[in-house]
Amino acid sequence: MSILKIDEVTKVYEGKVTHRALNQLSFEVEKGDFLAVMGPSGSGKTTLLNVVSTIDSPTSGEITVDGIKPHELKKNELAYFRRRQLGFVFQDFNLLPMLTVEENMVLPLTLDNMNVEKMEERVQSVSEQLGIQSILGKRPNEISGGQAQKTAIGRALIHKPSLILADEPTGNLDSNSSRDVLELLGRINKKERTTIVMVTHDPIAASYCDRVLFIKDGEYFNEIYKDDHRQTFFQRILNVLSLLGGHVGDFSTVRLP
Amino acid sequence: MTFRQFAYRNVIRNHRVYAAFFMSSVSSVMVFFIYSMLMFHPKVEDEFLREIAFQGMFVAEVVLVLFMMFFLFYSMRAFLEARSKEFGLLMHLGMEKRQLNKLVLLETMIIGTAAIIFGIVFGYAFAKFFFMIVREILQIDSLPLYFSWEPFALTIGTFTSLFVIISFISVMFIRDRDVIDLLKGYWRNEQTASYSLWRAILGLLLLVVSYALASSTTQERLIFLSAILPPLAALGTYLFFTDSLQWLMSFVRARKRWYWHKYQLLTVSEVSVIMRENARMFFISCMVSTLAFLALGTLISMSTFTHQFHRLNPLGLVYSSKIDNPFEEAHINSLTKELEDKGLSYHLNKFTVKRQTSSSTQKPVKIVRQSDINRLALVFGYPVVNLEQGGAIFLAYSEKSLEELKTKKVWTVLQENSIPLFINSVYPRVLFSPTELGTNVIVINDDDFNLIDEAMVGANAAQSTNHIFVFHVPQWTATKDIGLELDSMMTEAYMNEHSEELPFYFENSGLDYSFIRSTFALLLFIGLLAASVFFLASGSFIYFKLYTGLERDKLQFNALRRMGITDRELRKIVNRQLIPQFFLPWGLAMLHSTFAFMSLQAFWQGIAELSILKEILIVLGAITCVQVFYFYLIRWRYLSHIR
Repeated sequence: MSILKIDEVTKVYEGKVTHRALNQLSFEVEKGDFLAVMGPSGSGKTTLLNVVSTIDSPTSGEITVDGIKPHELKKNELAYFRRRQLGFVFQDFNLLPMLTVEENMVLPLTLDNMNVEKMEERVQSVSEQLGIQSILGKRPNEISGGQAQKTAIGRALIHKPSLILADEPTGNLDSNSSRDVLELLGRINKKERTTIVMVTHDPIAASYCDRVLFIKDGEYFNEIYKDDHRQTFFQRILNVLSLLGGHVGDFSTVRLP
Repeated sequence: MTFRQFAYRNVIRNHRVYAAFFMSSVSSVMVFFIYSMLMFHPKVEDEFLREIAFQGMFVAEVVLVLFMMFFLFYSMRAFLEARSKEFGLLMHLGMEKRQLNKLVLLETMIIGTAAIIFGIVFGYAFAKFFFMIVREILQIDSLPLYFSWEPFALTIGTFTSLFVIISFISVMFIRDRDVIDLLKGYWRNEQTASYSLWRAILGLLLLVVSYALASSTTQERLIFLSAILPPLAALGTYLFFTDSLQWLMSFVRARKRWYWHKYQLLTVSEVSVIMRENARMFFISCMVSTLAFLALGTLISMSTFTHQFHRLNPLGLVYSSKIDNPFEEAHINSLTKELEDKGLSYHLNKFTVKRQTSSSTQKPVKIVRQSDINRLALVFGYPVVNLEQGGAIFLAYSEKSLEELKTKKVWTVLQENSIPLFINSVYPRVLFSPTELGTNVIVINDDDFNLIDEAMVGANAAQSTNHIFVFHVPQWTATKDIGLELDSMMTEAYMNEHSEELPFYFENSGLDYSFIRSTFALLLFIGLLAASVFFLASGSFIYFKLYTGLERDKLQFNALRRMGITDRELRKIVNRQLIPQFFLPWGLAMLHSTFAFMSLQAFWQGIAELSILKEILIVLGAITCVQVFYFYLIRWRYLSHIR
């Protein structure tokens, strides 16, 4: 069963210069998928993520998340939809500085007015899963980048959303933390069967996924599936990237092994 | 483009940012200037209030300048923080710190100069209008507009130095930072809102103690309390904002059932950071508001004061003399002459007052003859007394005592002369104030009165009988220049503590009234000044603070929106973040002034038995309305920025 279905989605930015960010893009994400969306700068990755996360609406085409067509919802329903069905992980974490790690994680639940015991239970199990029990009482400025991103992942997971959207989650992390976070995402994906869609520039990050989808100039370009070895998968991702035809400088954060 | 042009364009093209700052500066310069105009007014100096007016205005100006200094300093800092990215970029491009200082100084001076010029121009334009109001209040014949260099020099000098000092101080804050920090933008220092427990408790304790003291004020302790209460309350307020508030917040945080409820999590934590960061500014806001409330409230009560004062002191001039007073005739003659010279009509009534000991209370009682009272009653058109021998009525000294004595019936004997009396009623009007005739007075039949010839026990004949001369002057407010000589003699005697030896007592309600009025008028200056500038400044300050954090808040709200916050919830969150900023210092100031009024009430009870409750409520209500309006205005701006 597909949990996310993108059907002929086009997004045109009107303005002094009309810009077509997405052009008749179609693909599906199955439940339990761990999908990476790759593409050169300006290929429409972020637009795609914005459209899926319903903070932007497509010019034409249809998006279905878990059987719901969010763009047909009213404004408030949309907010509730985001609150219950989607989880977000941002490049710069977006943790609220005045809240502790624990409070940051329960934030989506408090908005939905859950009872305190249940919330505490959830925090307990999620923080165990993420290995951040020891920092629950700390504030975002007292923890490392990796821990901050784990907290953000915890926040995205805590309400058990049907879809997690991650925007360059390793963009601000060093290689060790990156690996930690990616392995964590992979583990969650396997264990909880959580669907994750991750937008990234980084082929290493993409190589942790089950499937990598390439887009170019807002259009579907290619997709490849993971094989047994991450190394060879990584190699294949690089091959497709070179086929994408951009200039070498486009894959900014490529780190060859 | 020269460096100066650069600075100029910075200001002109950023005018939206500078607008609020500029407006508050202009208004304070304007008020300051008008005030200086009054202070240096040739007419005010030699005709009216003399020393005291000058000093009062001086104090008000000092308060204004101090407040402006804090305000300018805080808003400058908020500004520079908001623009730190810009400064970081300039330094990245190779600007020296010296040049940066020069840039800030130039910009501040441009705004400052413009504010001074506009302020003075507007001030001069409105001065006449203001003088007209002041003339009404002070009842001066004329208060013309004049031109003199002094107010200009004072205003320009004060504010120029203020702006220079402020720009130097605020520049120091940029100097300490590295370029990289500046480029990253101002990110507030998100330290845990720390507090010390004992300071928190001390703060609350001080407030409670000062409230308790204020509400239990009695007249005897008034002087002592008025010296000790303000510093006590001020310290309490300061600690309240810095520590107690955080302590209270920590209670909220500990109660997860409440804290982890809806957007409480967001708002409570945000508010506690805001409160901690701006504790000092909130403290200043709170204290200045209290001052302004007090001044305005006192003022408003002035309108009822004229009416009530006259009802409680219906007699114009009262001259009371001991029977052996050698100056009696000379003084009365000089008073009549002065009244005639002024062309004021009057009725002169002479009273004889005897003192006896009442058997029922064993205390001295003052006795007035019925025919004396009746003569005075005829002048006022009051009811006439008609007593049998052995009958008596009380003479009330205030409205309250009138109520109390209405139902009181007493059998008594004037012990020295064994005259039995039945006091069964009270004279329905207040004629004498307690200082004129004391608090225990009865009226008796003339025949009984004539029977009193034994002096009171422990007193000689001269001490137990008084003559009281009452001048009823219909134009009672015009008598303030009458009997100044007697008044100064009395003041001198009181100063040297010889008042007991003085053979006479003189009271001029016109003079008293004009004296009290001038005190009020003085408060009017201070109150209006502080209040008007304060209104603008405190609102603008909150606006600056919001402006500073705008970028950060935008990011935060964006993330929240992705997490699924509805527009309504967003508005509610903003509301709850703004309301404490607006209304907490305000509310505390209200509480302060309420208790201050309670002790003031004790003071009023003492001199005039005046109730100022209604007036105070009106003032506080009106001020709250203004504040609510300001709140909506700023919330509207903020929300439109955030979206």
